[in-house]
Amino acid sequence: MDGCRSGVPTYEGDLHVVAAAHHIVKALGATKNLSDDLRKILIDLDSHLSMITSNIDSKGGRGLVDVEERLDRAERKIMRWETDPMMIWDSGPKEASDYLEAVDETGKLVDGLRGLSVHENRKQKEILHRAMNILQTAMSRLEEELIHILVRHGQQFEPKSMYSRSIRKDIVYDESFVSVEDEPTKETSSQNCSNDESGECIVDLVHADVIPDIKSIAKVMFTSNYGPEFCEAFIIVQKEALEQYFSFLGTENLSIENVLKMEWTCLSSKMNKWTWSMKIIVRVYLASEKQLCNQVLGGLGSVSSYCFLEISKATILCLLNFGEAVAMGPHRPEKLLRLLDMYETLADLLRDIDTLFSEEAGSFIQLQFHELLERLGESAIAAFKAFRVAISSNGCLYPFAGGGVHPLNKYVMNYIRMFPEYCDTLNLLLKNQHPGVADQVTKPDYGPDTSLLTSCPMAYHLRSITSCLESNLHKKSQLYKDEALQHIFLMNNIHYLVQKVKGSKLRLFFGDEWIRKHNAMFQQHAMNYERATWSSVVSFLKDNNPGSSSMSKSTFKERCKGFSIAFEEVYKTQTSWSIPDPQLREDLRISTSLKVVLAYRTFLGRNLAYTDDKCVKHTVEHVENSLLDLFGGSSRSLRDSRRW
Amino acid sequence: MDTQEQELEDIELFQKHVSDRFTELSSPPEDDALLSVSWLHSLLDVFLCCEAEFEAILIMDRDPSQLSKPPFDRLIPEFIERAVKALDICNAVANGVDSVRHCQKLSEIVISALDQNPLGDGHAKRAKKACLMLLSAMNLDDKEGTHVKATERSWSFGRRGVNKEQIAGHFRSLSWQVAKNWSSAKQIQSMIYNLVAPRGAEASGLPSPIYTMNVIMIFVMWALVAAIPCQERNGLPTHFPVPKQLNWAHSLIGLQEKIADEWKKKEKKGMSGLLDELQKMEKLAQSLIDFTDSFHFPGDAEKVKEAAANVSELKEIFGRMDQGLTPLQMHIREVFHRIVRSRTEFLDVLEKGSAPVL
Repeated sequence: MDGCRSGVPTYEGDLHVVAAAHHIVKALGATKNLSDDLRKILIDLDSHLSMITSNIDSKGGRGLVDVEERLDRAERKIMRWETDPMMIWDSGPKEASDYLEAVDETGKLVDGLRGLSVHENRKQKEILHRAMNILQTAMSRLEEELIHILVRHGQQFEPKSMYSRSIRKDIVYDESFVSVEDEPTKETSSQNCSNDESGECIVDLVHADVIPDIKSIAKVMFTSNYGPEFCEAFIIVQKEALEQYFSFLGTENLSIENVLKMEWTCLSSKMNKWTWSMKIIVRVYLASEKQLCNQVLGGLGSVSSYCFLEISKATILCLLNFGEAVAMGPHRPEKLLRLLDMYETLADLLRDIDTLFSEEAGSFIQLQFHELLERLGESAIAAFKAFRVAISSNGCLYPFAGGGVHPLNKYVMNYIRMFPEYCDTLNLLLKNQHPGVADQVTKPDYGPDTSLLTSCPMAYHLRSITSCLESNLHKKSQLYKDEALQHIFLMNNIHYLVQKVKGSKLRLFFGDEWIRKHNAMFQQHAMNYERATWSSVVSFLKDNNPGSSSMSKSTFKERCKGFSIAFEEVYKTQTSWSIPDPQLREDLRISTSLKVVLAYRTFLGRNLAYTDDKCVKHTVEHVENSLLDLFGGSSRSLRDSRRW
Repeated sequence: MDTQEQELEDIELFQKHVSDRFTELSSPPEDDALLSVSWLHSLLDVFLCCEAEFEAILIMDRDPSQLSKPPFDRLIPEFIERAVKALDICNAVANGVDSVRHCQKLSEIVISALDQNPLGDGHAKRAKKACLMLLSAMNLDDKEGTHVKATERSWSFGRRGVNKEQIAGHFRSLSWQVAKNWSSAKQIQSMIYNLVAPRGAEASGLPSPIYTMNVIMIFVMWALVAAIPCQERNGLPTHFPVPKQLNWAHSLIGLQEKIADEWKKKEKKGMSGLLDELQKMEKLAQSLIDFTDSFHFPGDAEKVKEAAANVSELKEIFGRMDQGLTPLQMHIREVFHRIVRSRTEFLDVLEKGSAPVL
């Protein structure tokens, strides 16, 4: 009754409006360069208008009856699930698509009814109201279904499998600089994540089969203006999944206060963990999450990137925060390599980050990444400088017993042995340093022999570091009262320096000239040692009158005694000295032997007449053998080792 | 001595500025109610200004060795330690702003649900759901242990517990935490610890602005924690040991007492942040829940009108949040970086001051 009555006055007016709208739609539809979204909207609009027209065309009230019937059908399909304990999407694809169809239909009816003028038509209002209620119920249900699907079909991936290819085995030197006096024993090899330039690795965070389902739910919800509810549910579940994974990786949130107070070995392993987690989270997890968002919400404008940002923000910021705390910390030398690791990781990931957070809303994350990168670089340089200072100021209070290789030397050389791995990064960072530092660096005076590597910034700094080290070692050598020991010490240490350089990639940076020079240095010290020790000893055996056949017996006795005492003294002292390198020890013994034994043999030979006197304490063989005991590291007395 | 006189003058000026700035904060204009988003912006600005002046007095043109002697060899490191604690609070509060943003998003749903004419049962249901989620999203302070993961619920058993309100209500973002077992209340407490006003001769020298800056930093952090829900605010101290006779401190103390009163009132009812917009939103959400509960189409005209008024107020608050929250996060970030820089400056000064003269 009502419907019939209202149909007439408004009916024609409505037709006109609808016709006009139809024209506009057709005109727009003919435009080229329509985006997919726009085209879709026009198609929908067209179908709605057609429906309205058909409703109006049909004789007034009958249109509404039609609508009501359709609504009833849709309602049945939707409401039956409210009392069903099963989840719709668990029940099968047909049930799901039926449900979606019904919801879609309801949505269309709502739009259509809304589009009609609502003047005084109570019946229309009632139907519209009913339809909207049904729609609300459906939307609520779809939310639940969505959460269910996401949770049920969510997948986690095994992090190790992601980085099984080309794992870089690093010898990590974790010893803290402070404890240099001890024997550095800790050389742990850690599985470092690969410098995999090939970038992302996408996994299915949600089983691929259900993506179309999620998409269709999204479509329906967004079309009915329930987009916010979809996003809310989607974000909550996905965010929680990400954070679970985050803690599964073993990374934990740490307050800045704690990081600053953390003891080195602990901090070192956390820095390592961070490096590893960053790569996995950014390259694998977030890349996959972004793809998921695009798959599900692509075509809905900025919604996809909004959801992605909300899902990932907190985790990324947490990771960044750790980086900031580390960069803030005291710039101790032992931190350098780990800082470089973190720097390199971040630098590698910059491109990925820029892609993931390319929209305006995500730009602040990009900004923070770039800022953190800079700060880590500064931190690394500060640690580098601190390294040099620490070397220079390493204590010189007590002479190092035995004259062997000093722990400082071992620490420094083993540490810088790993710098070539970070060559590119260090060069980049060092180049950006303020020019004042460059002046302090020793310039190589090697002629045409220089290759690119020996003249890069890192090479300069490496030579500067070893130069510092050498200075310090010289200072340490001055602590020995015995000049010979000074030379042994320097010989040992410079030899060690050279061996380390020759035996690693460092040789490419130090160059042949440097090696030659330093070879010459330790050989010089060897000679100086010999002179300092043996000249006076051997002087007893010298023949002052080369022309005459022999010396007097008393002179001979005196000389023998002098030689014995001197030799025994040397023996006692120098058996406690140490030359750790076996080859070096051998070489020095041979050289010494040649000098001393030969001189002794000659001496005895010239004075054969007196040799069976008991003033000749030692045979040549004995002297020869005794020399083998030198530099053994523990003091002995010749009397003990006498071999007759 | 000229420099000493100059220094005293600078200190006096600094403290006058402090006093003025806080007096201004105490009587905000209409729109910038105490602890509103824009008031917080002003508060952070005040901090940045004071900090800049403070650094100028302490560091500029000063021989670093001066600051390595007593009492500065104790005062400066203490300040630096408090600064580090403030950094963690900045992070906690920045996280908290995210949860306020979440509330803002939910209120958007409420608004679009109720901004309908005529209002239907469906709309009311939608609005009610969103309001409930809004209320539970505001009370995010809960301790660990009440965290129940969405994934732990038995979704696969169909409709049991498949309920967004329940997830959101129990959802405590793990990375929202600063750290395990971290407490913003305890952090503030430890910042207050050992805070002693300088006495006697020290009160007229450099120790005085150091004390002032400490107090300002603590106050700002405290106000932020009170306003924005963040990790574990239970037990937030409500009393500052600042002597009332300090001239520059009057307005600050007044503000502190006002906010503390509000806090004590709220503490009994629940823990949502004192942020003005949040408080208003809470009230509106509550009355809208009452409305939607009793609503049946077409509804009581009076009540519908009232609800519409609430919705339009909600829209206003939404607008203010929309405009001010992201900038607030940026602002907090700025404060964070300033504190980091300041810390580095002071560390440098200490290092230079204690380096042996070669």
